[in-house]
Amino acid sequence: MILWPASMPPPAWPGPPQIAALREDGTVAPSQGQELNNELAIALYEQMVLARETDAHLVALQRQGSIMHHASAHGEEAAVVGAAAAIRDEDWMFLASREFAAALWRGMPLAALMHHARGTASAPGRGRDAPAPPFWKPARVVSTSPLSATQVPHAAGVAWSARARREDVAALVFFGEGATSSSDFHAGLNFAGVTRSPLLAVCRNNGWATSTSADRQTASDGFAVKAVAYGVRAVRVDGADVVAVFSVVREARDRASAGEGCTLIEAVTTPRAESESDASWSARDPIMRMRRHLEHRGLWTEERDAQLRAEVSADVERAIAEAERPSAAPIADFAEDVYERMPWHLREQSQAMTPRGPAAGG
Amino acid sequence: MVQAINDALAHEMRRDDRVVILGEDVGRVGGVFRVTQGLWDEFGDDRVVDTPLSEGGIIGAAIGMALYGLVPIPEIQFADFIYPAFDQIVSELAKLRWRSGGEYPAKVVIRAPVGGGIRGGLYHSQSPEALFIHVAGLKVVCPSSPYDAKGLLLASIRDPDPVLFFEPKRIYRAAKGEVPDGDYALPLGVAAVVRPGRHVTVLAWGAMLYEALAAAAEADKSGVECEVIDLRTLWPVDIETIVASVKKTGRVVVVHEAPKTCGFGAELVALVNEKAFFCLEAPPARVCGFDTPFPYALEMEYLPLARRILPALLETAGI
Repeated sequence: MILWPASMPPPAWPGPPQIAALREDGTVAPSQGQELNNELAIALYEQMVLARETDAHLVALQRQGSIMHHASAHGEEAAVVGAAAAIRDEDWMFLASREFAAALWRGMPLAALMHHARGTASAPGRGRDAPAPPFWKPARVVSTSPLSATQVPHAAGVAWSARARREDVAALVFFGEGATSSSDFHAGLNFAGVTRSPLLAVCRNNGWATSTSADRQTASDGFAVKAVAYGVRAVRVDGADVVAVFSVVREARDRASAGEGCTLIEAVTTPRAESESDASWSARDPIMRMRRHLEHRGLWTEERDAQLRAEVSADVERAIAEAERPSAAPIADFAEDVYERMPWHLREQSQAMTPRGPAAGG
Repeated sequence: MVQAINDALAHEMRRDDRVVILGEDVGRVGGVFRVTQGLWDEFGDDRVVDTPLSEGGIIGAAIGMALYGLVPIPEIQFADFIYPAFDQIVSELAKLRWRSGGEYPAKVVIRAPVGGGIRGGLYHSQSPEALFIHVAGLKVVCPSSPYDAKGLLLASIRDPDPVLFFEPKRIYRAAKGEVPDGDYALPLGVAAVVRPGRHVTVLAWGAMLYEALAAAAEADKSGVECEVIDLRTLWPVDIETIVASVKKTGRVVVVHEAPKTCGFGAELVALVNEKAFFCLEAPPARVCGFDTPFPYALEMEYLPLARRILPALLETAGI
């Protein structure tokens, strides 16, 4: 007879310690975070405020039924913005479901994001990919699908290409902790490990994949520890600490340039609980934590914060209004871009789509 | 045919330094069928990659390489092993151009040996072409001769869309023929009428083309002149050549190794019905593999060999 233990034994392999930089009083723990210059520190804060405001509007639009889908990124701002800010202009980026703020950081206009959310013909990709993650080709933010982890081997392939071409370019790929259960996560990390490719794999661990808790995804001590099996570096970082996230991703990027290959970064976040008090959340809120840091450095005031929030709110509302203008795609459009040139069968079918008009393409 | 494919790969790798090959055992050993032999020696690790054993990883990484601007030619060791990569092919590769409005096309040529008759059993003999023809955004090619293999592979590599290039492994070494040294690309989407005739149109491709030709030669002795068409590109298929032939003959027989139900023959017959129904003199016929796994012990009974095709030709011809 097998006697099953009443509780799970502890994981056999401990994960790496969790790195944090921002303290409760707004100071930065020495050696845990790079000292950010004033300009960057403020920019990171402002971008997180923009991310929070944009997210709130997208959640509202989704609840109103104006857009079909939006996965809230509330509380993920530091993990997303900190990582996006740490890489270089020439690097490539692959988003999962909650990282639109990374595309905004890279220069995607707010209006383009809103066109994307609504699936209008003015969106990147002519609105065909909604509700997949947004992409922004001018800044190498690649088109991804909403499927879990399929983008991980794509990023590994980009990283391999850069290495094979002797170009100092890295690929940053985001995914949630649930995606680590998929074969594509394994295939991508393993490929990058074997080929020493400059892949920065950022796992946002917010504890939940839809309704399933992280302990149903893995028996290991967190997700960074999985790097050990791929022979790549592992880092676990406080994902609500934008200074720490920026620092560890910047270090991983520099190591990639030095030929050290891939790093798996686990950014741990804890979403706000429904019943959580403002005081409790404020202590954990990535935005409030960075604000206390700016205030500690004498870079921020109440007035400036109020001004920023008013500006951001107006920007987001203006972008939403712009995307609400009628700009419907012509009906034959969806037969284009299946192939570079439309084959005979799609020409026939596009005529059936537009019974009164001539077929597009040719 | 192995030599012709190897020649096409080497030719294109010399001509275009963006072309890279990746797959299981494609490097040092040159692939289990030796199709990539010598390429690793000539081009090295940065152009010919022995990958970890993961088809999903191979195709996923190839997509990333294509996004970067390279022209990856991944090999799936046997088409039977392609299913772990099915999600990457169907959900990602086939859809990237469309979902990005043309901004992020991913050009990948997937090579894979297909078909039975080498005593490979149920996991080394399959012909999964219909699964990929069904997916919008993919092109599917299957050559039947060394000359066509080189010309169609060069065209597939230079085509802007993702291509599944299925190599009929039963005739990897059995199919022989002159192959020019130089550069020639045979256009995709163009079938070849390899035997003209006026009584029955026979549609075939890959290794089964030779069975169709053998059956046609036999039928000729009974006075039935078959027009045998090698489709070469399965999708987008050369509908004009097919319809022109059926309008002439009024009769059509489709031959393929894959299981009958929902095989490509079903689509071909439907197309003939849509476009040439009133020219038909007899019901279209299919001579196919059976709706079973591929049997190791009975592969010659499973395959639609000439002895099974001939009765279908005669019956369709009304004899």
